This record gives sequence, structure tokens and C-alpha cells, in this order.
Amino acid sequence: MQRRDFFKKSLAVAGAAAVGNSLEAASQPLSGQKVSNVAFPQKRPMITYSDRPPLLESKRDVFSQAITPNDQFFVRWHMPEIPTHVDLKTYRLKVDGEVENELSFTLDQLKTEFEPVEVVSVLQCGGNGRSAYAPIAGGIQWGNGAVGNAKWKGARLRDILDRAGLKLEDYWISFYGLDKAAYYKTPNFIREMHKEELGDHVIVAYEMNDEELPYLNGYPVRLIIPGYYSDSWVKMLSNLTVTKKYQELFFMDVAYRVPDNATESEEPGSHKKVKTKPITTMNVKSMIGYPDNGTKVYLNSHLTVRGVAFDQGKGIKEVSVSIDGGKTWEAAILDNGKNGRYSFREFRYTFNPDKYGQQKIMTRATNLAGEVQPLAEEIGWNHGGYKYNGIDIVTIEVV
Amino acid sequence: MIKYLLIVMLTMLPLAAQEVKGEMQVPYIPYEIKMGKHFDVIQAQCLMCHSFGYIINQGPQSKAFWSGKVKKMKNAFGMDISKEDTVSVIEYLFKHYGNGKLK
Repeated sequence: MQRRDFFKKSLAVAGAAAVGNSLEAASQPLSGQKVSNVAFPQKRPMITYSDRPPLLESKRDVFSQAITPNDQFFVRWHMPEIPTHVDLKTYRLKVDGEVENELSFTLDQLKTEFEPVEVVSVLQCGGNGRSAYAPIAGGIQWGNGAVGNAKWKGARLRDILDRAGLKLEDYWISFYGLDKAAYYKTPNFIREMHKEELGDHVIVAYEMNDEELPYLNGYPVRLIIPGYYSDSWVKMLSNLTVTKKYQELFFMDVAYRVPDNATESEEPGSHKKVKTKPITTMNVKSMIGYPDNGTKVYLNSHLTVRGVAFDQGKGIKEVSVSIDGGKTWEAAILDNGKNGRYSFREFRYTFNPDKYGQQKIMTRATNLAGEVQPLAEEIGWNHGGYKYNGIDIVTIEVV
Repeated sequence: MIKYLLIVMLTMLPLAAQEVKGEMQVPYIPYEIKMGKHFDVIQAQCLMCHSFGYIINQGPQSKAFWSGKVKKMKNAFGMDISKEDTVSVIEYLFKHYGNGKLK
């Protein structure tokens, strides 16, 4: 199955080369991957790249709605040992390091002793869409489904830190999760963020879409950093440690980084060491939820294309659709934006397919800062295959 | 007394209702990995931390890529592996999941 997909993809790349594009341009990410016949806890069967650690991707049709259901929300862990049970009697969130008072909270305390706040926010893996890159970038070859959008409820990180009392003007916070490595020597999955990056919108969430967090999405609490890629949204959060200086950590200094230049790209295969920076905030993107590649529709039927668009929180201004291969674009209808600037915006666009055969549908998002979703072939390569945001394309069949 | 305790426990349950009951079972998926020379080393070393799915779903890659991955597992993640086995693992990965290119 995977082999066939890669074969298909290399054909697509070869096809692009034939019309004059470079062999080393991005194309569309894998699409239509088979859903596993095995369901993970609290999940419906999903595209399953690995069981240990669990790596689950959502299918395309999940993205025709603004809120991603918990049981279809993507999953990505780094360490092989995830606790199989979290006992709320012993679970504590600890706050330590450079604080006035080192404290620890039960889940119940987090729920009752702090003002509950809600934010609807996209959670996206930095490697989402990686399979679009050519040559193939290192890492799991995700299609476009390592992303989701949920309503998160929790306590403000700021309120929790204030309770412990901050002593320093300037500080870093390290976030620790409960997952463990198999080797003692393996670095734990710890993320670190500077004070400046942690505004009032950052929360320690204990609810996802009005339910407790699914186990595989970080039960009982996870960090929510709207606008940022999910690498810093630590799951099964156990510790917040305040430090004066930046600590050197593997998962900060080596993983989840892109070249530190204007296009965040590099020459494939050059093996030159480039200066890098953390992937941090998300770029502007739209994705088609319906129809899918190969969907059959009747001639002159009213076809409604549905999908979602998002960015890092600057706000989506417009999603436009092209049905003539990108020559002309027309605005789609956007939802009312009531879920806020960090959420998926739903869009829809209806047209009458008027020619038999293959019909290409392309969608392009623009945000309020004027940033426009690029064509896949306009995106420069990076060795980690991060931050893919090419214009989404599906090809349907009109019968 | 026992009966009384049971009633108390039962009446308390809904208050502490958890959707996550007991231990989670993460299912095992039999990823189809290619058999061949040095597979025994792959099985012993790689499965310590991750499934075969993690290997298969990287896509076909160069020898330099696989060599880099094995080095990362050794140096950054602490894989305990001999020099000889390191060579075997790279050879296996490139043979079965390689793209034919050295770099």
C-alpha cells in the first residue's frame, strides 16, 4: 500500500518534470491512504503509520467541518512508553524551578481553583504534508491529515505561574510530559519556551470539545499554544519548570527546526550545514475536505466543495477556488468566524461541472496580513520536511 | 458493613465518572517488513523504541539518510549498538528501504 503510494507520487513528480518543473519541487501530499482496520483507544480507525509510538492521521473528509471530532483527531507521540493509566488520585501538575513557592495541583484543583477559559484552536504537526516534498524529506510521510481543530478548555498558564510566584524578569519555561523513553540515555520529550512566547492565550487544557481529553491526545492535561505547531503542545503534562537561562535540549536544538532564512528552505542534497530556527508559528493554509480525488459526480450536478482554512491567528481573509487549473480564482463562502482567529474557518463553493472527464479543484487561502497560500511547486525544500502549506488540489471525475 | 460500603462506592461512582476506565491497551499492528540479511539485528535494535511502521513510512531514502538516522538513534537517543551491528543495520535499511542513491 505504502509502496504503491510512493510509486504514484513519483509518477506525479515525473509528470510535473515533463511540463518543465524541477524534479525537486514539492507536489501534493499523499492522499487517499488506507484507514487501518484496527481502532486505537477512544478513536475510530484512522490512517496508522506506527503503533509504538502511535502515529494516527485523519482522513480528508474530516476537514469538511470546522471542529474535528475527538475520535478522529490525529495522534503523534515521540516516546515508546506512554502510561497506560493515569491515576487522578496521584496525578499532579508540578510547578518548580525559579518560583517563590514550588506547587503541585490535582486535576480537580486545576478545574476549580483557576478561572476556566476556552479557546478554539488548530493543532497541527510541523511535519503535516511532509510527503509533498521531493526529494523525500526525512520523517514520517504524513499526508495532509496531521492537523485538527478543537475547543480547548482549561486554566491560563499565566494564572498557574502567578500562583507559584515568578521571581525573574526574564525566564524560560520547560514543559515535561509523562511519556518515557526505552533507554535511560534517551532525552525526554521536553519543550522549552521563552516568556515572550507565552501570552494569556496559552492554557493548560483539561477538556477537548466538551469532553475530557482522549488518552492519546494527552489526558489528563496538555498545553495549548494557539498559533504554534503542535511540537510544543506537551501532552500528559506533568511539570512546568521555570529557569533563568535556556537549557540545551535535544527536542529543541535538533528536532523541529527549519533553515533560518527568508524562504526557510535549502538546497536538497547539498549537505551544507545551514543555520536553523524552531518551526514555531503556522503559515496560511486551506485544505479540501470534500470532494476527494477520484470522487465521481454527474455532469451539471451542483457540487459543493467544502474545506477549512487557518493560519497562526492573524486571521483568514479569503479562500478562493479555481476550477480551471489556476487561471482564474473565485471567492468561496466563509463561515462567520465565530470560533475566533485561531480556529479552522469553514468554506464552501458550489459549481456545476460542465465537462466530462477529470476536473481539477484548487483552493487558496489568504490571511489578513496579505500572506497567500503558495502553489506546491513554489515551496522551497527543507531537510525535515516541515511547514508544507501548498495550495490543495483534488481531481474528481465528471460522469 | 460491606454492603454499606458498596452502596457508598456505587453512589460515588457517577461523581468521579471517567471515560477512561482502567488500563489502556494500545493495539499491536503487524507492519509488513521485508525479511533479509541482518533482519535479526533490526528486530533486536529498532523495536526497542519504535514499530516497523516507523521505518517503512519514512519512504525510500539514500544511504546517507539511513546512516544519519542510525547515528541519531545512537548518539541522540542512546541506542546501545556495536560498530558491527551499526554497519549491518544501515546495510539492511538501504537495501530494503533505499532509493539507490548513496547521498
